[in-house]
Amino acid sequence: MNASNPIPTDYDTFRASIRAFLKDAMTPELIRAGERTTSVFSDFEAGRQWQSILHAKGWGAPEWPIEHGGTGWDIQQRYIFLEECKLANAPNPVMMGIQMLGPMLMHFGTEAQKAQFLPGIISGNDVWCQGYSEPGSGSDLASLKTTAERDGDEYVVNGTKIWTSMAHHSNWIFCLVRTDKSVKQQAGISFLLIDMATPGITVAPFPSLDGEVEQCQVFFENVRVPVANLLGEENQGWTVAKYLLEFERGGQHFTIELKKQLGKLQRVMANPNSRAIDDPTYAYRVAETEIDVMALEQTELRIKGSLSAGDNPGALSSLVKVSGTELGQRCAELLIEAAGQSAIPWQSEALAPGYTGDTAAPAECVTTMAEYINSRATTIYGGTAEIQRGIIAKHVLGL
Amino acid sequence: MAAHMTEDQTLLKDAAERYLRDSYDFNQRRERIAGGVYSDPSQWQAFAEMGWLALPIAEEFGGLGLGAREMAILAELCGQFLVTEPLIDALAATHAIIGVSQQRESLLPRVAEGEVIPVAAIDEAETASRLTPAATLTQTDAGWHLLGAKHWISAGASATHLAVLAQSTDTEGLAWVLVPTAADGVECDGFPTHDGRGGMNCRFDVVLEADHILLLGQPASDALEAYRALAMTLSSAETLGATKAALDTTVDYTKQRVQFGQPLASFQALQHRMSNMLIQTELTRSLIYAACNASDSGHDDAARFARAAKVKATTVGRNVSQEAIQLHGGIATTDEYIVGHFFKRITALESWVCSKGEALKEFMALSPP
Repeated sequence: MNASNPIPTDYDTFRASIRAFLKDAMTPELIRAGERTTSVFSDFEAGRQWQSILHAKGWGAPEWPIEHGGTGWDIQQRYIFLEECKLANAPNPVMMGIQMLGPMLMHFGTEAQKAQFLPGIISGNDVWCQGYSEPGSGSDLASLKTTAERDGDEYVVNGTKIWTSMAHHSNWIFCLVRTDKSVKQQAGISFLLIDMATPGITVAPFPSLDGEVEQCQVFFENVRVPVANLLGEENQGWTVAKYLLEFERGGQHFTIELKKQLGKLQRVMANPNSRAIDDPTYAYRVAETEIDVMALEQTELRIKGSLSAGDNPGALSSLVKVSGTELGQRCAELLIEAAGQSAIPWQSEALAPGYTGDTAAPAECVTTMAEYINSRATTIYGGTAEIQRGIIAKHVLGL
Repeated sequence: MAAHMTEDQTLLKDAAERYLRDSYDFNQRRERIAGGVYSDPSQWQAFAEMGWLALPIAEEFGGLGLGAREMAILAELCGQFLVTEPLIDALAATHAIIGVSQQRESLLPRVAEGEVIPVAAIDEAETASRLTPAATLTQTDAGWHLLGAKHWISAGASATHLAVLAQSTDTEGLAWVLVPTAADGVECDGFPTHDGRGGMNCRFDVVLEADHILLLGQPASDALEAYRALAMTLSSAETLGATKAALDTTVDYTKQRVQFGQPLASFQALQHRMSNMLIQTELTRSLIYAACNASDSGHDDAARFARAAKVKATTVGRNVSQEAIQLHGGIATTDEYIVGHFFKRITALESWVCSKGEALKEFMALSPP
């Protein structure tokens, strides 16, 4: 339902063509990888395979400009594509290269850098991770301490990055590093592209609360990086990173995932074994959540409308991020309540796309606990809910 | 935050806002209400002259033929400027009841000119459901006999006519009748309300001519649904206007109020609460505009969107106006300060036409198309 901007029928044709493609391209294993996804990342290999299928079709990076391999779809078509992929349970590839680095490369990169890196990103042959946070620099990112000292044609990098998602699967990392300690924090930061195979880099993966490994700490000890791998000017790294943040948040479509969660909630309520049946307040709480999702969806459409008109969504994306993540948490809570004890078994192997054996939990509850656990991280990563509220206070309310 | 409006809608909003800013002063309003005057006839005349009353009337009957989206623009401003005249009440009754009635040709021009001020009368204090009135309408040799009582008619004292919902004893269906408040056999008790309106309870034992019968049977039931959906949307929009105004007042106040040597606005604990107020207000706005657009485009989901808007606006209006009082501190608990008046109007609107709980239940009963 799109009350503010009814979709013309030719979008129906577009949707049908996406659906037909997905019907052909999705294998049972890929579907299972999508179904058993418990965080922003699906099974790594399945995601990678899916990215190469999309790339072969010419849909590797629909949002990119056509000259770099984009599709030329309008905002509505891109939304439909994402929606259909979600409905078909397509797995999520590692998207840091496509969603984050790509736009920054196109805006700040030299021709040589674009030619060197963009093709590997869109094909999925290169897997990129993001080196921003450090043990001592979370929300206060600009205080980061990893240094890069110039030595001839190279920078020598020393320090450590943490919360580096999927670093153990990545062959490249884009990093914020300190190149000048004598100036204001933000003014002494540069943006470096680093080959993970460079001597001096150590990756230490660690399990998250759900027992799965997605997060890593990365250590840099005298890592030599060619100056040619500097993105933007030296000490311009903060500007490069901020450029992305402003555009990144507006393009998010939380309601695609949220509507899928609502569908699960409807199925839970129809299931006679569900604990929700005995709770007279449950259906009311689901209905109020659905109304909140409708409100968010209409807000996303308002933002899309202003994006189409060429506006920068700015602080509005903070509004969407806060509401989208908090609503996702509410859905996860409702699902864990309905599942009750049946969500408690922990069976890591059942999450693998190749797993076809019995599950300790009922099939519909295999991912419930992990999804609930991982939902807690959503209001922390990508700028905490508190940081977003601070942005709104400053830039919208002028406080 | 931008919200898409057509050029005409922007013109309507700008002109209406300019008028109310210049001519609807809060302190004058307070004095007027203190003097027992709950609506100002010169304001109603001005509303008529600006075309607001003709806004929901079809062009073939001399109106502007506009829809819920335009009415919501006015409703929002009513919330922002604490308008006590029954504007959303009259717009909803005009559009959904009188506008589809047998008497529309003769009535609508009088509504547009401001001569007839119609307000719907649905609630009955002693009837459990608002949808099944105990008031009855019976056809007799002398005419149509309306017997029963209606209560808590918001701004009833400012109306010239009540659109009364009754049970027809002849057809066993519903009926809408238009009753002049001054007619013989209509006994009204007025009372002041916390939101600055003149409320009214009325007893009817009156025989009416046929030209007072608006709708009977299925068309009457359809009009009830249309009226309720529109009134839910417009009450949500008025709530939104009052909510946003309460937030803006709070933001301004905390920037100026100095405690512990710094403006209240500099404290992060308060900043984040105001951010929440903004987030929720804007989410509500999106939903209300979508409800308007769904209604205006005749979308299958319009009834559901109206309920959703009512639930969301009620929840958020209550929360934001409570927070507005808390963040101000003591000043907000005085009658001379504006923010408490937003709070009172929002509270009165919560239960007007339907409560949040009723709206939620109806939302759940309607399945998505």
